[in-house]
Amino acid sequence: MNSGPEHETALLRPAIFFDGMSSRRRTVALAFGNQLEIREDQRPLAAWSYADIRRADSPSGTLRLTCLTAPALARLEIRDSAVAAELGSRCTRLDENMPGRHGTAKIVGWSLAATVSIVAVVLFGVPLAADRLTPLVPQALEQRLGEVADGQVKVIFGNQICSDAAGQQAFAKLVNALRDAAGLDTSVQSAVLSSPIANAFALPGGKVYLFSGLLAKAENSDEIAGVLAHELGHLKHRDNMRGLIYNGGTSFLIGLLFGDITGSGALIFASRSLVTASYSREAEQNADTFSVAVMQRLGRSPKAMGELLLRVTGKEGDRSLSILSNHPLTEDRLKRMTEEDRPRSGPPLLTAAEWASLKAICSVKN
Amino acid sequence: MNQMAVVPPALPGSVSFSGKRGDFRALVTRGALLELVTVGFYRFWLTTDIRRHLWSDTAVDDDAFEYTGRGKELLVGFLFALAIIVPVYLAYFLISVEAARFKAFASFPLLAFFYLFGQFAIYRARRYRLTRTVWRGVRFWMTGSGWAYAAYAALWGALVGLTLGLMLPWREASLERYKMRHTYYGDLQGSFEGRGWDFFKCGWWLWLLAPIALYVFPLAPFVYAAFKAVEWRWWLSGMRFGGVRLESTLPRGALIGLYWKVIGWIVLLALAFVVYLAICAGLVASMSAAPLNQFFAPQVFLKSIPLLVLAGIGYLAFALAINVVIRIYLLRDLWVRVLVSTNVHGMEAAANVSAKGELASALGEGIADGLDVAGF
Repeated sequence: MNSGPEHETALLRPAIFFDGMSSRRRTVALAFGNQLEIREDQRPLAAWSYADIRRADSPSGTLRLTCLTAPALARLEIRDSAVAAELGSRCTRLDENMPGRHGTAKIVGWSLAATVSIVAVVLFGVPLAADRLTPLVPQALEQRLGEVADGQVKVIFGNQICSDAAGQQAFAKLVNALRDAAGLDTSVQSAVLSSPIANAFALPGGKVYLFSGLLAKAENSDEIAGVLAHELGHLKHRDNMRGLIYNGGTSFLIGLLFGDITGSGALIFASRSLVTASYSREAEQNADTFSVAVMQRLGRSPKAMGELLLRVTGKEGDRSLSILSNHPLTEDRLKRMTEEDRPRSGPPLLTAAEWASLKAICSVKN
Repeated sequence: MNQMAVVPPALPGSVSFSGKRGDFRALVTRGALLELVTVGFYRFWLTTDIRRHLWSDTAVDDDAFEYTGRGKELLVGFLFALAIIVPVYLAYFLISVEAARFKAFASFPLLAFFYLFGQFAIYRARRYRLTRTVWRGVRFWMTGSGWAYAAYAALWGALVGLTLGLMLPWREASLERYKMRHTYYGDLQGSFEGRGWDFFKCGWWLWLLAPIALYVFPLAPFVYAAFKAVEWRWWLSGMRFGGVRLESTLPRGALIGLYWKVIGWIVLLALAFVVYLAICAGLVASMSAAPLNQFFAPQVFLKSIPLLVLAGIGYLAFALAINVVIRIYLLRDLWVRVLVSTNVHGMEAAANVSAKGELASALGEGIADGLDVAGF
């Protein structure tokens, strides 16, 4: 340290330097001139301009620096706090790269904006997309989906299709009358499944299943006709396809929204069922409207279906939870159908004998 | 005259951690609150901050590591991953429709594809993390194929399944060999010398205890913690970079306390959650018009909207608090315990390593996030 001029020697400061090209640890001396000079054994290794020096992550007690114009991984480490303070006062743009409070506010702001936009898309965009896309889905694909679902239904319910000959004849007569009134073609197929569950459903591609449990609770053919007309309404509106697109889109977006705040699976599920339930309620209402129209066209009572539903579900009463339900309240449905009720003008859809054999259709199982 | 600062020479090859526990606790608590406010989007930055904290306070031979990744990279990786996962899901949907036409539920084997995809993501995520890990101005990096790794992982996974877990040590050894063979520090190539048999020898009694632990709850945390300790020790002791050898002396019981502390905290938090729910139910009941005995009829109070909202908020706070606890004990404390048990030999081989290797993208991390898989 004798070769340099006296004033410069006084400013030499110890540090550790890694040049970013090799892992060699160099003990260096720093000189604070116009630039920060880094010297090893009096030999200059590098000169960093103060404005280009930035802070890098380091353990507490160590100041670790990097330079914009040096190799990306070149690092200068200063462990003496006095030297660190002195250098810090010269490097005015030291912390420009560090994410700070301002950065966090920006992240929060953008996240909220993203949340609002995702919620808006779920509430308005996805239903619109489902409505517009459904007519574009080829009938063939829907048919295939139907076949898949049909296979699964048969596995779940043990493939117990009721096939009493007289009953089947009566059932076919009922379905054909409804199908003609509904304006659907012969691709619609239907069957009675033996199951204690009181329900009926439509599969994509035009398959309608009626459970014998519902048949057992029905008191006349108009009740069953209303339910079948309701299911035909789902087919006519292609609600299955629409629901599939809608549910897929909503699940994806809500999952995207919540990401993985681990353990929030229940929350994702809850918010999704809330949103999709309202969508399905709307579809159910439209199918009810369709059922009413078909029954009126046949000159039969639309109210009968509502009465059957009430017998099956009982009074649902409580309104506070209706936003969670995927069906409208039974009372409301019955009320609507009663309002639409007219004096019967058409012949009964089934004769008393046919009705009796339909009720007995499950005495023979397939 | 100014003397060169006298730094006490660290023992060659010692591994140390200098971070303060309070700092980490503040970091993850603040992070959890920000995650709540941003409905989860903050996770990219929180993950990054946690790694920056852990890396930069970890020193080998007195030189600290540095994590150079940034939250924005993870976000971009996640968005790219979405662009890949969405069409994959659609294709999966169409293929499963075709498959199920032939036989109901025939589409389940297709789930195996997602297992492969997840393993691929794990490999690529490791590559991202390594290329953001810097020590002495030189970064770690990785070659190798994510798909080849996924195929190995799947085949070994099937073997482990068939042997009811007995082959697990050999699976880990084989996969680790693949990973380490393709891992570099500068121009120093990594390797893995741990053998499945050694792992099995250290922990064979755990395989005997595991079936019992499945039924006897208090035994399970002991068995799992001992298994993890044996696994860590074996894993670290097998790691090599050129002539640099790692060695771990982690005792078998070192992690048991941590797991029990987490269980204790979860029980406490669950109790607090139940008390909170009871208070909320009481408050809502006293404010509702219905008489008390009528309000608490199950079909009524389970359907009260204000109560559901309060319960939802409480549940979120509960989940986030558990997250904080797990990060403190099973991430930070575990990290420290494993580190201080580790020694590095042959440091002279790492004294003059040339920098090499390119940065990798965060796509793998994104896919792993999107598929909810983790590993390293």
